[in-house]
Amino acid sequence: MKREINGHPLLNLDSGATSQKPSQVLEAERNYYEQHNANVHRGAHTLGDEATLLLAESRQATAKFIGASDQEIIFVRNTTEAINLVAYSWGLDNLKEGNVIVTTLMEHHANLVPWQEVGRRTGAKVEVVGLTPDGQVDMDDYRNKLKLHPKLVSFVQVSNALGTINPVAEMTKLAHKVGAVVLVDGAQAVPHMRVDIGEIGCDFYAFSGHKMLGPMGIGVLWGKRALLEKMSPFLTGGGMINEVYTDHSTWAELPEKFEAGTPNVAGAVGLMSAIKYLEKLGLPAQAGMDNVREHDKQLVAYSIQQLQKIKEIRILGPKDSSQRSGSVSFEYQGVHAHDIAAILDSQGVAVRSGHHCTMPLHNSLGVVASIRASFNVYTTKGDIDALVEALKKVKEVFKK
Amino acid sequence: MDMYREDVMDHYEHPRNQGSFGDAQDKDVLTARDSNASCGDMVKFYIRIAKGKIIEVKWEGIGCAITTAAASKLSEYLQGQSLKVVQKMSEEELVRKGVGFEVNPGRSKCLMLPVIVVGKILKN
Repeated sequence: MKREINGHPLLNLDSGATSQKPSQVLEAERNYYEQHNANVHRGAHTLGDEATLLLAESRQATAKFIGASDQEIIFVRNTTEAINLVAYSWGLDNLKEGNVIVTTLMEHHANLVPWQEVGRRTGAKVEVVGLTPDGQVDMDDYRNKLKLHPKLVSFVQVSNALGTINPVAEMTKLAHKVGAVVLVDGAQAVPHMRVDIGEIGCDFYAFSGHKMLGPMGIGVLWGKRALLEKMSPFLTGGGMINEVYTDHSTWAELPEKFEAGTPNVAGAVGLMSAIKYLEKLGLPAQAGMDNVREHDKQLVAYSIQQLQKIKEIRILGPKDSSQRSGSVSFEYQGVHAHDIAAILDSQGVAVRSGHHCTMPLHNSLGVVASIRASFNVYTTKGDIDALVEALKKVKEVFKK
Repeated sequence: MDMYREDVMDHYEHPRNQGSFGDAQDKDVLTARDSNASCGDMVKFYIRIAKGKIIEVKWEGIGCAITTAAASKLSEYLQGQSLKVVQKMSEEELVRKGVGFEVNPGRSKCLMLPVIVVGKILKN
């Protein structure tokens, strides 16, 4: 995306909110609408078959990308919808008064509010695991909360606000020991590193297409077949049924059981294109996601190093860049995050300011709002240099 | 960077009428608070009324330069006004006459927070 903002070339350091899209992804969506557009699973005509095949092909590519089986891939709108699907579908059937749900203080509101809601309806209680001073999950507190024998444990793989990479495989193993079902929020992990759900061992995994170079409006819930088969549908209607009578209906097999209504085929096609793009990025080409991770690691390390040179800046989250991914959040002493963001924007630099949908976390850090610079595969060290340069203007305006 | 003009920065650095009337139950003092969901900023206003006139205004809260300067300017404006006159004012008028500076659309929530709080008081 080439644009000028306030007379400066746009520099986008807000990829954590949503990534920019490669032209291949845009072209794939356009080509779908121009050449193959039809509704799926119906109409014995060529376009209908092509659209159905493309949706299936995207599902296979997505499954392979995270090491899953394609029948366990449910297409949704985004991570939020994926988590809500589990909360309402699994949660309402399996939770009751006195049950415990465990989550952590670094969760995005999308992985906290649905559990509060399901808790309110079922009487289950949400227990929130605290963090260590450098922004990691407090594993002692985690072990203690697991002693409450939660029915469900849900945590983020990479924090959107702190950048912390959590030990998700270890956390899953510990939760399984007490018999809990485990959901991992992978929204900020999938764009930046190789994810293998078999290695994590979790029961559900959720992520969004739009943060990983794909289009908006397409996301993924992966779930273990045995669990998905036992679950009630989340949304009902067309596409998710087997037989319908006036007084009852039977459900389609996986994955259609969870995909009521016309699916976002163009989005799925765009997502497949993004996956293919990522899988071949950098050198060696077969190591696509490892190259992506290496690039990300270098950017995080470089930005921490450069931002620390400004004495008013306090970096949030782990200082060790191998323990973080995708972003660096910070506060600027004496100046509100929104004012910083406005001064940066006046120079064409886009960052996120606010609580990044993690209000409980910001409250616990004693920070009203922070600034987040977040990256993707197209971000360069030069972009970080420009951010540091633009931050000098803060002193001019605020004389601090 | 027009929104960070000199008088706005002056009100941010030296906010007027900042403080509170405490928690004392005083029926002449009207209060209201609100927060900005996108950043957690909070503003609370206290307005003391006597004989249909606003005789004292105080405000407290946390916010960015824009929220702080808007609250400070608004508190100065309200002091000494007739309650009836300001009750008749629309939010737009309160911004134009009471706050007296503009921001770009992305920051209008920051500017509006004190205006909304004062509006809450005036409506009751």
